[in-house]
Amino acid sequence: MPQGRYRLVVDGELGPRYASAFDGMTIHAHNGETEITGAIIDQSHLQGLLERIGSLGLTLHSVTPISAEHAVGAHVQPAGVSDTDPGATSKGP
Amino acid sequence: MSSRTEPAGARRLGVSEPKLLLPRVHAGTVRRARLLELLDKGSGSPLTVLDAGVGYGKTTLLRSWCAERPEPVIWLTLDAGDDDPVRLWTHLATGVERLGRGLGGRALASLSVRGSSIETAVEELISGLGVSGHPLAIVLDDLHTVSSERSLRSVADATRQLPANVRVLVSTRSDPAIGVPSLRAGGMVAEIRARDLAFTVEETRGLVLREGIAMSEDSVTLLAERTEGWPAGLYLAALWLRDLEDPDEGVRSLVGSARHIADYLTDEVLSVLAPPTRDFLLRTSVLGRFTPDLCDAVLDREDSARVLAELARSNMFLVALDAEGRWYRYHHLFAELLQLECEHEHVRELRRRAAAWCATHGLIEDAIQYAAAADDPATVAQLLIQSHLAFIRGGRIEQFLGWVRWLPRDVLRENPLLPAAGATCAALLAHPSLEVRQLLATAEQARRQRPHAWSPYIEAVVEVTRAMKIERGDVSAAVRHARRALVAARAGADALSVGVLASLSQALFFAGELDETRRAAVEAVERPDAPDVPDGYVGSLGLLALIDAEQGRTESAEAWARQALSFAHEHFQAQSWTASLAHLGLAVACASTGRLDEAEREALRGERLRRSAQPTIGHAHALLVLAQVRVRRSRLDRAARDLERAQRAIAEFADPGRLPAIAAAIEHDLSTARADAGSHRIVEMPSAAELAVLRGLATGLSRREIGAKLYISLNTVKSHIRELYRKLGATSRAGAIASAEARGLLDGH
Repeated sequence: MPQGRYRLVVDGELGPRYASAFDGMTIHAHNGETEITGAIIDQSHLQGLLERIGSLGLTLHSVTPISAEHAVGAHVQPAGVSDTDPGATSKGP
Repeated sequence: MSSRTEPAGARRLGVSEPKLLLPRVHAGTVRRARLLELLDKGSGSPLTVLDAGVGYGKTTLLRSWCAERPEPVIWLTLDAGDDDPVRLWTHLATGVERLGRGLGGRALASLSVRGSSIETAVEELISGLGVSGHPLAIVLDDLHTVSSERSLRSVADATRQLPANVRVLVSTRSDPAIGVPSLRAGGMVAEIRARDLAFTVEETRGLVLREGIAMSEDSVTLLAERTEGWPAGLYLAALWLRDLEDPDEGVRSLVGSARHIADYLTDEVLSVLAPPTRDFLLRTSVLGRFTPDLCDAVLDREDSARVLAELARSNMFLVALDAEGRWYRYHHLFAELLQLECEHEHVRELRRRAAAWCATHGLIEDAIQYAAAADDPATVAQLLIQSHLAFIRGGRIEQFLGWVRWLPRDVLRENPLLPAAGATCAALLAHPSLEVRQLLATAEQARRQRPHAWSPYIEAVVEVTRAMKIERGDVSAAVRHARRALVAARAGADALSVGVLASLSQALFFAGELDETRRAAVEAVERPDAPDVPDGYVGSLGLLALIDAEQGRTESAEAWARQALSFAHEHFQAQSWTASLAHLGLAVACASTGRLDEAEREALRGERLRRSAQPTIGHAHALLVLAQVRVRRSRLDRAARDLERAQRAIAEFADPGRLPAIAAAIEHDLSTARADAGSHRIVEMPSAAELAVLRGLATGLSRREIGAKLYISLNTVKSHIRELYRKLGATSRAGAIASAEARGLLDGH
């Protein structure tokens, strides 16, 4: 999977407590679902996000690559992901 | 960085006790008869897999099932550290050993020897279980936390070898890579997945009734639908609804909300808690496993025991790991959700304190986990340095190496012992040499940048790792590095002496410096701490056997060899390459006293133990010894093949030491023997006793005179002569003498 912007959709609308769960990604809840959108650096980043979603008991609906032109309105932050691996706690080996 | 070294008999890394505890069944748990029956039904399959996401009640179900079984259960909660199969199986074997003394002992001993094979330990454990014959269940909780191929493969292999009386039950969040599809095809696995674990409407009703929540039948159905039967959601809902005046209204508002159920309910449940309790929950949620003492230390309180007991009683978030109320953990999902509310910096501080507490209480592995989770590589490094011998001597080299790899490079440069010891581990694990070189390079950088932090101990570790070059075929380099290691060891790394001396003696042996080899090997085996380093001890004893055998001191050689092999057997080194030297020594000793059958057997054993994927000096040497023995036995074709294999390997080595000379000598013997075999039909080499008789014949003595001279009976002389004729392909005294002379058997007398 090439790097780029992706939209992950999970079931249920997530409240503000989840903001820190997906550092660097934008969270937009509507219509009984939540979109988690942002730039994915590489496979490890994606795996980390999927694992995070799992450990929070969320149900993954879809993962879709999106291009910049189709970015969703005012809810999208400019591209820029934090250096640390978001969505993964430092667990060590 | 001090150069103080660990005492020689450093404590071996033990087990992390909480991993082996059976979590308690919470009083409020609904008994799920339907699922318990499913688990019972699975008893025909060796493996049962509970495979569903977080919050599906897998651990709860397994624990309930265990509580109702008469047969013993070994429970192991897995975590990422079990990526090291030695750690995983050390814990399991400890569980088995506690069940019945002696059942797990051999496996444990085998695992604690570094470099020993997991397969052997697993086989030992399984055969022990089979012998006992008692029914037994092994539960592996949280298998998804293990991702290493070696660990997963060992579990898969074990599952396939289970005796009929043992069942393995596994809980996981994702399909585990332990060969389930093929087990499925063979009908050997029972699976329980999310759709099985989800609460039915009936079960939902049961939960509601149990919690004493007064609500309508419709509400029950709505609740079941809204939560989709997700047990975590249902328990959270029950917790909230039971305190509401109007539970039906509660269900309606829950149904009416599009929010994720855990999000909604966590808010509700947390909001009714007294602030001190909520605060306690939030702050302790960042801990993994904890005791009341640990909580007190981390939170600066004195009443954690009371608070925890109360929490454990009133809801299901807290899992009591034992009956005494010592160890607890939070339910995984709840902990995750709570942690979202905490600030990173605060979380780090709490975990740092937890690391400090664990370190003070000797819980080294837990301390390291906490320090790592606190993003505190400096503390991780310190803990690793303090305990490195415990890890390495306890066979936990993969785990140690994993932590070294986790540390950032600058921390490794500040603590050069770690990349150095990591390089040793990588070399012992036969990892690609690139990794070994990189780690050594990091250590070297450290030395250049901070020479005051270097010590003889680190020097010894680095040089002994470099001396492992011998296996890649560079004997002089190995000698050079091993000599430097010894200088360093004498300067300040006494604890490492046995290993260093063993490396040095091996290198010197292949370089042909036999006297110096002997001195180094003797020094190694005479040290009181030698038995603590089994591979070095056995290897050195074996070298002494070989040298004595080569130099004609056969009795002494056999004594050394027997000592090596009996120790090896007791300490699970019998199948390791270090024992091969003793076998080869025996082979040479037997050959020179005419016991050629035994010589060939021992040489074969020695050669087999040295086999490996890549050619090594040790294996080439073993092939040469085997060839040598076979020439004496007149098995010339086989000898030729062994010699050829050895020579092909030798050609690849940068510096094969004395091997080419040995090979050339064998080649000479081989062609001589071939020539003789052609003309004199030599069947087999006569023994020393037979040759003594032949010499008598050659000097014209009668059989009776020969008997008198050699102190043997006439009948014995006659049977020796019969054998001589047979072996030399002769039919007369003259023919036998001629045959022997042509082969130089009568030279020197």
